[in-house]
Amino acid sequence: MTNAMRTSAGTVTVERYQGVKADGRFRRLWNANAPGYLFLLPWLVGFFGLTLGPALISLYLSFTDFDMLRAPGWVGAANYVRIATADPKFASAMSVTLTYVVLSVPFKLTFALLVALALNRGLRGLPIYRAIFYLPSLLGGSVAIAVLWRQLFASDGLVNAALAQFGIVGPSWISHPSYSIYTLVALSVWQFGSPMIIFLAGLRQIPQDMYEAASLDGASKFRQFYKITLPLLTPVIFFNAVVQTIDAFKAFTPAFIISGGTGGPINSTLFYTLYLYQEAFGNFRMGYASALAWILVVIIAIFTAFSFLTSRYWVHYDD
Amino acid sequence: MAGGATLLSLSALGNSAFAQENRLRLIWWGSQPRADRTNKVSDLFKAKNSGVSITGEFLGWADYWPRLATQVAGRNAPDVIQMDYRYIVEYARRGALAPLESYMPSKLQIDDFDPAQIEGGKVDGHLYGVSLGANSAATVINTVAFQEAGIDVPTNKTTWEEFGKIGAEITKAGKRKGYFGFADGSGGEPLFENYVRQRGKALYTADSKIAFGADDAAEWFDMWAKFREAKACVTPDIQALYKDTIDTSPLTLGKAACDYAHSNQFVGYQAMVKDKLMLSNYLRIKPDSKGGHYRKPSMFFSVSAQSKVIDQAVDYVNFFVKNPDAAKILDVERGIPESKAMREVVAGKLDETGKIPLEYVAGLGDLAGPLPPPPPTGAGEGQVVLRTISEQVAFGQVTPADAGKQLVDEITRILARG
Repeated sequence: MTNAMRTSAGTVTVERYQGVKADGRFRRLWNANAPGYLFLLPWLVGFFGLTLGPALISLYLSFTDFDMLRAPGWVGAANYVRIATADPKFASAMSVTLTYVVLSVPFKLTFALLVALALNRGLRGLPIYRAIFYLPSLLGGSVAIAVLWRQLFASDGLVNAALAQFGIVGPSWISHPSYSIYTLVALSVWQFGSPMIIFLAGLRQIPQDMYEAASLDGASKFRQFYKITLPLLTPVIFFNAVVQTIDAFKAFTPAFIISGGTGGPINSTLFYTLYLYQEAFGNFRMGYASALAWILVVIIAIFTAFSFLTSRYWVHYDD
Repeated sequence: MAGGATLLSLSALGNSAFAQENRLRLIWWGSQPRADRTNKVSDLFKAKNSGVSITGEFLGWADYWPRLATQVAGRNAPDVIQMDYRYIVEYARRGALAPLESYMPSKLQIDDFDPAQIEGGKVDGHLYGVSLGANSAATVINTVAFQEAGIDVPTNKTTWEEFGKIGAEITKAGKRKGYFGFADGSGGEPLFENYVRQRGKALYTADSKIAFGADDAAEWFDMWAKFREAKACVTPDIQALYKDTIDTSPLTLGKAACDYAHSNQFVGYQAMVKDKLMLSNYLRIKPDSKGGHYRKPSMFFSVSAQSKVIDQAVDYVNFFVKNPDAAKILDVERGIPESKAMREVVAGKLDETGKIPLEYVAGLGDLAGPLPPPPPTGAGEGQVVLRTISEQVAFGQVTPADAGKQLVDEITRILARG
C-alpha cells in the first residue's frame, strides 16, 4: 500500500517535472511539496492567525496610545522614548528579571544535571523516579504553589522551624524585600523536570565503551565526568541553557502567583512581564505595554544571538 | 492554548450567529456563595419574564478586570456588568457604559434610594451605575484576643494615640505566640483616606487633582513608624503577606487582633475566624474629630453601551434592587440594600452576624461625612504607590518625612499622565 502510493506519487511528480519546465520553479516546488503543506496547514493557520498576526498587531499598537476601550491613536515613538527616559519602574523591573535569569538558570541546570547523573546509574524503577521528579514542573504556577511556598518560607514556615533548631530566628522570607526574589529562584530550581529529562536522554547517547576504555586506563570517576561526559554533553547543555534563559526572561506566573499580582514587597518581585501585565490590564495602557513587550523581544534575541556566537568555543558536536 | 482558542471562537459564535432577541449576559466578581445568590435571582427574573434567557459568568476580583477590559475591547461585553467605584470613571469616560438616567423613573424605580448613593453612580452628570448596596470602611476586631489580654476593646471615641497604646499592650501581654495588637495599615488606602478626611482634606478633588499635602502623608507615616517601634502593629514582613484578600489578612492568619476592612466583608471574616469578631469605626485623630467615614456604594450594576438589549438589562437591574423576593435572596452579601423598602425586608430575616454590619453602617452618626467624588483615572496606580512607599518606610529604606514628599510627587505625576 505504502509502496504503491509512493511509486505513483513519484511518477506523477516526474511527469509534471518534465512537462512544465517553462512554468518555473515555484510550480515545480509546489507540486513536489503540496502534500507536505497540506499536512502543515493546521499548524500554519495557528502560526499566522494566533502567533504572527497578533505579534504584528502588537508591534503596531506599541506606537499607539491604545487603552483597550477606545480606538488606538498613533503617538509615534513616544512610548519607547518614555521607557528609555522617564520610567524608573522599567529599570527596576529589568534588574529584577536579570537577577532572576542570572541566578535561576545556572542553579536549575546544575541541579537538573546532578539528578540526571544520579538517575543514569541503571536504577531499578527509573521511569517511576523520572515521573516523580518531573511532577513539580507539571504543577507550574498554581494557587497550590503559592500556598505551599507560604507554608515553607513565611515567618512561621518550615524553613524557619528548621532554622529555629539552630537558634536562628528567620524573617518571613517570602515577603521580605531582601529575600523574596530568592524564594522565586528556589521555585524555579525545584521545577527542574524538563531539563533533567533532556540531560538524561543526552547521557544515554554517550557510548559506554568510552568509559570502559577510560577506566582501563585508570581514569577516576571525576576525570571521566570532566573529560568524557561534560564535553559530549555540551550540545545538550547548550540547548537547555538557551531554552531555560528564554523561559526565565519570560517568567510570569511564579511572581504573579506568589506576590498576588503586586510584584511586592517594594517591587522586589516585579518581574518585567508582571510590570508589562500591570500596565496593560491594570492601568489600561495596552500601547505602552506592547512597547515594553517588543523591548523584551529584542533583549531576548540579543541574549540568544550572543549564546549562539559563543557556542562555537565551548560546544562540541562530535559526529 | 488550543483549548483557549476554541473557547474564544465558540463564544464569538455565540454572540453573533446565535444571538437571541432576549438573551442577557451578566458578569460579576465574587465567590461561589455570591454566584449562588445571583443565579437564584436570575431564575426568578426568568420565571417572571418569559422568553428571556440569562447567562452569567463570575471571576475573582484580580482576574475580573483584565477579563472585562478584554471583552469590552473585543466588542463582546456582557449586557449587565458589576462595576466598582474605583473603575466607574474609567469605563464611563471611555464610552463603555450606557447612561441610565433616561430610564428613571419609568423602568428604573430607585426613587427610595438615598440621593447621595444615586449620586455616587454618576459620572459627569450621567447615571452609569446603580448601587447594589452600601458599606463603610471599618476596623475588624477579635474580641476574644482582647479578653485574653484583659484589655477593653476600642470604642467609637478611641484615638490613634490610645489605639497605639492598646496595641502595644496586647503584644506585650503575649497570650498568643507571635501575636500583635493590630495590622500595619500604613499602606491601606481607605485608612489613609479616612485620616486625611479627618484633617479636612481628601485623596482627590472632583477635578482629578491630589487633595492632600506632603505634611499630611509625612505625619501619617511617622505615626506608623512609632507604632512599629512600640511593637503595637505587626512587623513589615508579616504585613507584606497581605494581598488584599480576607484569607491573607493578619487577623485571619492569627497574627493580629485588629485589621481594617469594609463592613460588607464582615460576614466573610467571621466565616474564617473562630473567635467572635466585632466592627468598630476607624480611629479618630482627636476625640472630637468627625467626618472621616462615608457610606459608599459597595458595587454597582452598569449596562454596557454595546448592549443590544438595553431595555431588558435595565429591567433586570431594577428587579435586582427593587424586588422583595430578590432582596431576600441577596441579603446583605453585596452590602446593605439602598432601597428603604428592601432594607426593611432584609432587616427582618438577618442572623446575628448579618446584623453587625447593618447596625454598624446605620450607627456611624457624626463619623460619616459626604461621599467623595469617584476616584480619577490613575487612582488605582496611586493606591499601589501608597502601598509601595509605606513598605519602604516600614523596611527602613525611606524616612517618614521623605516618604510624604515622595508620595505626593508620584501621585501628582500619575494624575498628570492620566
